[in-house]
Amino acid sequence: MRPSPTRRLAGLGAFVLAVIMLTAIVELFPNTVVGAAIGGALATAGSILGIMDSAYAASALRLSVPIAFAALGGIFAERSGVINIGLEGLLILSAFTGVAVAHWLTGDGTTAVGPGIVLLLVIAVLLAVAGALLGLLGDTTGEIAVRAGGGVLATAALAGLTVALAGPTLAATWLAFYTAVLVSTAFALLFAVVTIEYRADQVIAGLAVWLIALGVAPFASNVIWGAVNSPGVDTLGTWTVPGLSELPVLGTVLFNAGPVVYFLLLATPLSWYVLAHTSFGYWVRASGENPKALDTAGVDVRRVRYAAVLLSGVFSGIGGAGLSLGRVGSFVGSGTTMIDGRGWIGITAMLFGNYNPFGAFGASLLFAALDALQFRLQQLNYAVPDSLMQTVPYVTVIIVLALVGRTRTPDAAGEHYESDED
Amino acid sequence: MGLTPAHREWRTTMRDQIDRRTFIGGATGATLAGLTGCLGGGGGSEAPAHVGMVYSLGGLGDEAFNDMTHAGIQRAEEELGIAYDNTEPEGQSEFSTFQQQFASSTDPDYDLVTCIGFSQLSALQENASEYPEQDFMLIDSELDADNVASYRFREHEGSFQVGHLAGLLSTREFSHEGSYSGTEKTFSTDPEAKTVGFVGGKENPLIKKFEAGFIAGVHHADSEIEVRSAYAGSWNDPGRGQEIASSMYDAGADIVYHAAGATGSGVFSAAGERGRLAIGVDSDQSLSSDASHTIVASMVKHADTAVFNATKDVVNDEFQGGSTVMLGLEDGGVEAVIGTDYEGEIPQDVLDALESSREEIQNGEIDVPTEPEN
Repeated sequence: MRPSPTRRLAGLGAFVLAVIMLTAIVELFPNTVVGAAIGGALATAGSILGIMDSAYAASALRLSVPIAFAALGGIFAERSGVINIGLEGLLILSAFTGVAVAHWLTGDGTTAVGPGIVLLLVIAVLLAVAGALLGLLGDTTGEIAVRAGGGVLATAALAGLTVALAGPTLAATWLAFYTAVLVSTAFALLFAVVTIEYRADQVIAGLAVWLIALGVAPFASNVIWGAVNSPGVDTLGTWTVPGLSELPVLGTVLFNAGPVVYFLLLATPLSWYVLAHTSFGYWVRASGENPKALDTAGVDVRRVRYAAVLLSGVFSGIGGAGLSLGRVGSFVGSGTTMIDGRGWIGITAMLFGNYNPFGAFGASLLFAALDALQFRLQQLNYAVPDSLMQTVPYVTVIIVLALVGRTRTPDAAGEHYESDED
Repeated sequence: MGLTPAHREWRTTMRDQIDRRTFIGGATGATLAGLTGCLGGGGGSEAPAHVGMVYSLGGLGDEAFNDMTHAGIQRAEEELGIAYDNTEPEGQSEFSTFQQQFASSTDPDYDLVTCIGFSQLSALQENASEYPEQDFMLIDSELDADNVASYRFREHEGSFQVGHLAGLLSTREFSHEGSYSGTEKTFSTDPEAKTVGFVGGKENPLIKKFEAGFIAGVHHADSEIEVRSAYAGSWNDPGRGQEIASSMYDAGADIVYHAAGATGSGVFSAAGERGRLAIGVDSDQSLSSDASHTIVASMVKHADTAVFNATKDVVNDEFQGGSTVMLGLEDGGVEAVIGTDYEGEIPQDVLDALESSREEIQNGEIDVPTEPEN
């Protein structure tokens, strides 16, 4: 179903040809109305190109983070056969949790070590239980113990590494970040239980996740801070790669960025590799395309789907907390909250990218780049109707879905699968 | 004073119970508390006036518009001895409900119902004709009815003042030692680049007034300064606000003014990261923001003055029904307030220039536009 190389070449050729023809018209008929109009358009294109510098690229990359993480999460869930449209809600919950925990640990200006350690213990226990539960779905007692121990060990390793690398103050912010990812994953688990175990309609359950988050986050903000908007907390800051950050353009864009930007640059190829080249990826795809065959091959479809939905929770958690803790340093719960539709745009990016991690990343980057472009154009006094610009992702996806027809939904997406075994 | 001690005690107990229910019941509780407010009255019949307050969405504790109007009615309680009751609507539909409750109440008979925010306009349109005997006041919008006094602000005048300040500071060496996100930092202007910025929330005529006044003020200081403006398209997206402000600072802007609600907190974050300056809006934001060292000034809209004045008019039997009061610099309705961390740091000649432009606006020598020039 992918476009053949010839088709791609043809597209590129057509684009180049169009530019050459436009330039030729301006050169040949400089005094005609058409010539002037196209000349104006080219001049505009020139000034647009002028604002596309490295700061612009860095901004687009930062703006794409929550969108792309939501899209990556959506890919895993939907390719396993579970349509997760609750991504927006998961982003909201993790954005809120990150700031709430960070404020709890560092709110009075000092780092609260005691609560931090308690929180770490809770995370360790939760991961251990999660590991044990995963083991319970059909493994021996030995494996259950190994998985539970793995959960505790992973927590300890993560905590030690964080304190060693980030120092105690920033470690509190990182702890808040981990907690946010965990809460998002826990909520994804709830969604998974409802849809996989209790066969709830996936779209309705996904909507419920969003609506619940939209209500719970501002309500909890009100309880904690007496207002829907939080006070400020410290952010995760930026990671500067020594040496490489001195490079002319790449240095600014890639090697002097917030941690979550690096995470995204790692997560995209990693997701692609896992989906395309590992047996887990093969199971995920089979579970979404032909669960019966997977079942016949002796793989538990339920477990694959649980894992995939949980992954969507992990990715959304990184995206949401990455926005609130990674850069902004506060949570805004008024209106549509600070997430402001990024999860929905993530879904459109997933569709536009045809469920391919690289495609989804590219689509997210494209939407983010358009956004960064439009508010730069506004500053140059181009009247850009921002309400119209905000519809671009959705219009694009409709065109792609309806006219180009490149996106192919997994066959069994949205369908419950019941094994005949029991 | 018709209350016996036994009565008082009963009322206190009732209130305590209601309080507990409010706590448990959340939204329903808030409505109940509002109702008890109506029934219980606040302070007996000897008060010279009873005022019912219907706040805008967001409620008390927003550190902005609602809290300022609350401060205004508290001042009236203190200085004029009036009694008042608060209601905090949780949704658009409750505006009308609370307005009607106050208007139809006979114990106490409310002398004034204060409606805060332009979104109450349509509800008030109906209720003002439904209850012709009831006096209303409307803040931030205009309704032509004999029993409604409208109060609006000359936001462009206050924005002109902060624009003038931005223009004066942008062209000179100015720096402030402070901190952001826990680290020591210097916040300074770049006298080489003659650029400042404006970030708006959603594009509408009200916010255009802020932008127009700001641009005019900047150009009053130096007509060669470039003002970069952009609208975020949202009141609640600090992430986008931060990217917009960052792009302005990257383009050489040293001071960015926002009229973008919670989106504006991203402007302060961007200023903190870049070691540049920002200007707040509506209330003195340097008092509430964690990035207070970035906030050189705020354009304060004194909604408290509007509430106090209207209440005073009612007490003195001079209710301004059917008229629209425009509160500008002259009436103390809007003003530029220097940030708490910058007090005493602004050069005297800048303050003098601000003072003289304020006088020129007041006596009409400067005509501040309400729509952006470009």
